[in-house]
Amino acid sequence: MDATQARLRIVAGTAIAALALAGCGGADDSDGSAADPITIGVSLPLTGDFSEPGKGVQRGYEAWAKIVNDKGGLLGRRVELKILDDQSNADRVVSDYEQLLGKDAVDLVFGPFSTRLVIPAARVAEEYGMLFVEPAGAAPQVFEQGFKNLFYAAPAVADDHYNHLADYITKMPASQRPKTVAYAAMDDPFAQGTAYGLKEKLEQAGIRTVVNEVYPPNTTDFGSIAAKIAASKADMVVGGTQYQDAVNLIVALQQLNYQPKLAAFSTAPTNPEFSKAIGAKTEGILAPTGYTEKAKFPSNVEFVEKYTAQFGTPPGEDEANAYTTGQVVAAAVAAAGCAEQGDCQRKLVDWLRANTVETVVGPLNWDEAGRPQSAHMIQQYVDGEIQIVLPESQKEAEFVFPKPNW
Amino acid sequence: MLTFQSVILGVLLGGLYALLAAGLTLYFGVMRVVMIAHSAFLILAAYLAWYFHRETGIDPLVSLVGTVPLFFVLGVAMQRLLISRLRAATLTMMSVLLTFAIALLIEGLLGYVFSGTQRRTQLSYSGTSLDFFGARVAVVKLIAFGLAAAALLGLYVLLKASRFGLALRATIQHREAAQLAGIDTNRVAGYGFGLGLATAAIGGTALALDTTIYPSLHWHWIGPLMAIIVVGGLGSVPGAAIAAMLLGLTQSLLQLPLGTTWAQTVFYVALFATLAFRPQGFFGGRLAQRF
Repeated sequence: MDATQARLRIVAGTAIAALALAGCGGADDSDGSAADPITIGVSLPLTGDFSEPGKGVQRGYEAWAKIVNDKGGLLGRRVELKILDDQSNADRVVSDYEQLLGKDAVDLVFGPFSTRLVIPAARVAEEYGMLFVEPAGAAPQVFEQGFKNLFYAAPAVADDHYNHLADYITKMPASQRPKTVAYAAMDDPFAQGTAYGLKEKLEQAGIRTVVNEVYPPNTTDFGSIAAKIAASKADMVVGGTQYQDAVNLIVALQQLNYQPKLAAFSTAPTNPEFSKAIGAKTEGILAPTGYTEKAKFPSNVEFVEKYTAQFGTPPGEDEANAYTTGQVVAAAVAAAGCAEQGDCQRKLVDWLRANTVETVVGPLNWDEAGRPQSAHMIQQYVDGEIQIVLPESQKEAEFVFPKPNW
Repeated sequence: MLTFQSVILGVLLGGLYALLAAGLTLYFGVMRVVMIAHSAFLILAAYLAWYFHRETGIDPLVSLVGTVPLFFVLGVAMQRLLISRLRAATLTMMSVLLTFAIALLIEGLLGYVFSGTQRRTQLSYSGTSLDFFGARVAVVKLIAFGLAAAALLGLYVLLKASRFGLALRATIQHREAAQLAGIDTNRVAGYGFGLGLATAAIGGTALALDTTIYPSLHWHWIGPLMAIIVVGGLGSVPGAAIAAMLLGLTQSLLQLPLGTTWAQTVFYVALFATLAFRPQGFFGGRLAQRF
């Protein structure tokens, strides 16, 4: 019964989205009652390599548009999304944004998904002088291109994901805190960024690096990397990982009976599939996360409730970052009192430079290059469930140290 | 100590490589077919083992009872219905195209049925290991090694001691002469292909015990496996086994001084060296031929 209802809602949601898209393609002045809608152009990878996260971002944007419209829109105008499929292709993403801004003359743009597509898209937006808030693209390269109008709508860039953990460790009494750390990172800007951000901070605090391994994304055997880490007997192991590499590495470490006092891996532990893969041996594993549906920020409570009603499942990180993008742009539009191409965009950018926005991932503000200035929460498997342990203000469970044996 | 541990890991890895490569060299030996889809079938078998375990809770090894005969029949059918339709003169080249298409088809179907989510068989003993003179030997890796040894030994005995093995070896050595001696080489080739695919069922199950699987994983495997069978001498099962063991061990030991990225290149360095200095392969003897 419940499942049927959920499915009906999904079908209905899709139908509404399809109608909205169809509406965008037709005449713009069909809506006679209120002022013209605010049109927002987006290009997303709905097919190809990034289609899974791309569809997640699409759902986040759609949820945002629905919630805004149900409340009477922005500046009293309805918002309409115009979403094009870039097929995960960097060439398509450029022509998509050119079409949206030139031919379709949208009023605002939202960013696409993944670093590879964010950079070319941001370049087009920059040429048109558009505000460019994006939900993905945490890698350092995004912020080194000299973009003036770019803002990343998430708590932190990759290098800062572990900041709360670094603080926690460096504040521990010297006799207790880990003295040696082993790092293993995938050869990928995002994954390496997370591990090396932590490495830099721990090394500054005098905590020694005893293993520093980098492996290519196609690595299938983690036995030898695990053997190196196990032989070093490091107090702590840190993985700059995506998904399968983290799982394979953790199991390989368990097979060698390596028992660190702390174990932190990016991305994988927050995946629902993780505990199905590792089983009962997840206890104490740490991971940074930019979003949790359980976060108590007021707008998040509303988002989770309405998103779940619309799509039948609670939102994940991709959906939340897309929704955050919408919140950030909406805050700037409300404050500047305008939403169209031209001078208005300058006002939006200037306002965001100077202000903090309340979002589903907490309050956000940015530096000159668009790097958000918050940090990720740190989650840990406590009593078989992944729970927030840092920072103190958001915690659901006590930080477990040392990690129980796995 | 670390070196000894790496030797152990290398031997276990080499055993797995040997099993995964055995079928590949058999197809080439019997039919001069380059089977790009071999690793896709490995992943298919791994998914079947994972699915079997998830649905029934029974040990994934039991799935072999079903997958080995299934893959044998699939292999015979594939050879009789598809491969045998290719023209003999262009067989090797066209088989690359045909099996590439089959690999894509399997990958697409796996993605469609099981989604792109990365899966792992959750076993109570997946992290368990035994102490071996101070080194740790993971139980799952030991089981995979045992499967490899048993399968390769079985294959060897079958090829050396049975009438069918004799016919298969005759077909490998000289097809026309085998026909003159009264061997139905078409049927033998079909069974040979089925046998190769049956080893993929065993290899895939061994893989499922200790790897996270996803539909496109097979592309990571086909390169090293192709390199192994060329180094071992195309068509020679013992050659492939020896090459697999040596390359697995070398890869594992090279990781200590060079790191993972460079250690992976050992397969391709060995491939280039083989083609440059001994194109018939290092262990194949007179059975093997130039690519």
